[in-house]
Amino acid sequence: MANLNLRSTQERTYQAIVVGSGISGAWAAKELCDLGVKTLMIERGPDVKHIQDYPTTNMLPHEFPHRGQLTEKIKEENPVISKCYAFREDAMHFFVKDAEHPYVQEKPFDWIRGYQVGGKSLLWARQVQRWSDFDFEGPARDGFAVDWPIRYKDIEKWYSHVEKFAGVSGFKDGIAHLPDGEFLPGYDLNVVEKYFAETMKKEYGGERHVISARCAHIHGNSEAFAAQGRGSCQNRNLCQRGCPFGGYFSSNSSTIPWALKTGNLTIRPDAVVHSVIYDEAKGKATGVRIIDRLTKEVEEFYADVLFINAAALNTNAILLNSTSTRFPNGLGNDSGVLGKYVAFHNYRARVSGEYEGHAEYTTSGGRPTSGYFPRFRNVYKQETDFLRGYAAGFSAGRGVGPDTSGIGMELKNNLLNPGQYGPWHVGSHMMGETLPKESNYVTLDGSLKDEWGIPQLKVSMDYDDNDEKMVKDYLEQMTEMFTKAGFTNIQTSDSKQAPGLDIHEMGGVRMGKDPKTSMLNANHQLHAVPNVYVTDGSSMTSTSTQNPSLTYMAFAARAAHHAVAESKKK
Amino acid sequence: MNRRHALRHIALISGGLALIPSCDFSKEDILAAYENLKITATQKALLAAISDSIIPAGEIKGALDLEVVDFILVMVNDCYTQENRENFTAGLQAFPDYAEKTTGKKFEALTTKEKEAFLLEAGALTGDDTPEGKRLSGIGYFLSSVKQFTIQGYMASEYIQTEIIPYSLIPGEYNGAVLISDLQKPRING
Repeated sequence: MANLNLRSTQERTYQAIVVGSGISGAWAAKELCDLGVKTLMIERGPDVKHIQDYPTTNMLPHEFPHRGQLTEKIKEENPVISKCYAFREDAMHFFVKDAEHPYVQEKPFDWIRGYQVGGKSLLWARQVQRWSDFDFEGPARDGFAVDWPIRYKDIEKWYSHVEKFAGVSGFKDGIAHLPDGEFLPGYDLNVVEKYFAETMKKEYGGERHVISARCAHIHGNSEAFAAQGRGSCQNRNLCQRGCPFGGYFSSNSSTIPWALKTGNLTIRPDAVVHSVIYDEAKGKATGVRIIDRLTKEVEEFYADVLFINAAALNTNAILLNSTSTRFPNGLGNDSGVLGKYVAFHNYRARVSGEYEGHAEYTTSGGRPTSGYFPRFRNVYKQETDFLRGYAAGFSAGRGVGPDTSGIGMELKNNLLNPGQYGPWHVGSHMMGETLPKESNYVTLDGSLKDEWGIPQLKVSMDYDDNDEKMVKDYLEQMTEMFTKAGFTNIQTSDSKQAPGLDIHEMGGVRMGKDPKTSMLNANHQLHAVPNVYVTDGSSMTSTSTQNPSLTYMAFAARAAHHAVAESKKK
Repeated sequence: MNRRHALRHIALISGGLALIPSCDFSKEDILAAYENLKITATQKALLAAISDSIIPAGEIKGALDLEVVDFILVMVNDCYTQENRENFTAGLQAFPDYAEKTTGKKFEALTTKEKEAFLLEAGALTGDDTPEGKRLSGIGYFLSSVKQFTIQGYMASEYIQTEIIPYSLIPGEYNGAVLISDLQKPRING
């Protein structure tokens, strides 16, 4: 490895360094820049500039040679990433291909990654439900993992802070365990979804809610977002290509351009972080060592404060690879818990059905969200033979198709004038909480290295008995609810998909009160190296059931303000 | 938001981003497909004739006018597994003889009505595990593939999606309770 630190140390010194430009990294950078901190944001992948680097965003269906489908060659070369629902002809370029960045699967794990400026914020499902104390208090109440060192009151104002900037559409549903937020007008449920929501309310004494899922889309009044250069969501449902309107929140459309405008942000793309530099004499981290993705040259950057937000598993990998005399087992890893207690969301089960009612109705236009079941199992007290519970998606839709049985002019006219309305199709998928445990872990492989000489990550995660019971319960409960609503042709399925495909991997650098059993304190600082902050998925002590990105954003904003307040004390 | 308003938004927000495709890689794909599948000129003409029977020209263009045959072959070559590719080409090879034996004429010499009746019948062919059974099911598989890709290639063509039933990149605000009886769609005559 050539070490060509030709530029002076001063030129490579900033007040803060943020590793990662995805949802949490770019949010930390934006807050730091707003507070006047000269910030370097490091990204391992290439730059993706808002709009100009969205090559497929306005392509019409016929402009895709395979009309969106993956070719056999791509599927054969990419058995892992091809499983991801969004890895299609229009957005393939934003995903990591299997051969590019190998990792070791001690147990099957589908690692879905987006290595570019903006990371997976270009690709996420944009669902943003808040956590409540029913989530934060879970580990303490139910005796797993360790107690979260924070509660809802610590994070509430930061949820509001990020919701106002990102733009979140939703309704004030008044549900204690799914707190309301700063909402733009919500997207209405359709006639069958409303019917189902009302039926559930009646059948379960008001304890089971079906709401319109809160989503990070600008809806209704978009004036407040003009300063970011963003406009209203156009209901295109082509989000994974990058949105030319900035209709949904991504780092690329929102936090990055905003931070650049302050003049305080420098972005260094194509820089693979090798490790965090720890200065034994000063007793703190002083910077990061990177390897240029293309030239393979090593370079160091320095700062007073570091944010490691490389996405959950890569943050684990960086800290594990940051060894020193003081920290032979990885940065801040006095406890030995680094890499352990990783968890994810259980997305295995689905239920579908049909509904003959409301036959006179259909829908028109598009919407970027659908129905959502907040958790209803074990919320107020333990009531099943498994711990915790699941949220669920719910949606109803109706297609109109042509009769394609014929041939010739008859077929042609049928295709051009589709008039066959089928029944309403209803569907649900589970989003189950999994319990972090020591036996689910990531570590560095002892011999295999990547293209940059960095040890490959070894992943070992699996389901357990609690997850199996939860899948069974979800399928039973959803079948019961569909039956009560008069749905027919109810089909259940368990994909048994490997962990990872949920793209909600979390933990390994968990928060906690006790340095002996956790990595981060209540302020998101490494207990043992307080000038290093982590606010991405790796910091999660438990997973609960909500899509987690909103919580990472709130963590990042909160931690950035904490870091600046600390620096002013000095 | 109406379309004009939405387009103004594109111009304002996206700095006048052009609504044009970014690349054209389809020609190479088409050549590769012909080469890999070893399609002869006669077979191409036959496929074109079948696609023409499935969606003929009338008041508006048909599958032949849109060269849907190229799309069929690209999809078979690129998106089929090797096994399915082989089934497809086997069916294609067996088709001419089968047509002639069944109808007493070469497929090309049949009238429009005869072609349609024959294709509907042959498209439903299945067979057992004997060589003859496999030959028949191969023809059935081949024809149902051709029909599926003809429909897809035709409906998702530039012609249909820009001139006949314009595809909307901006589908408009969601309405979750539209009375079907209120929908007024002008009939398109093929």
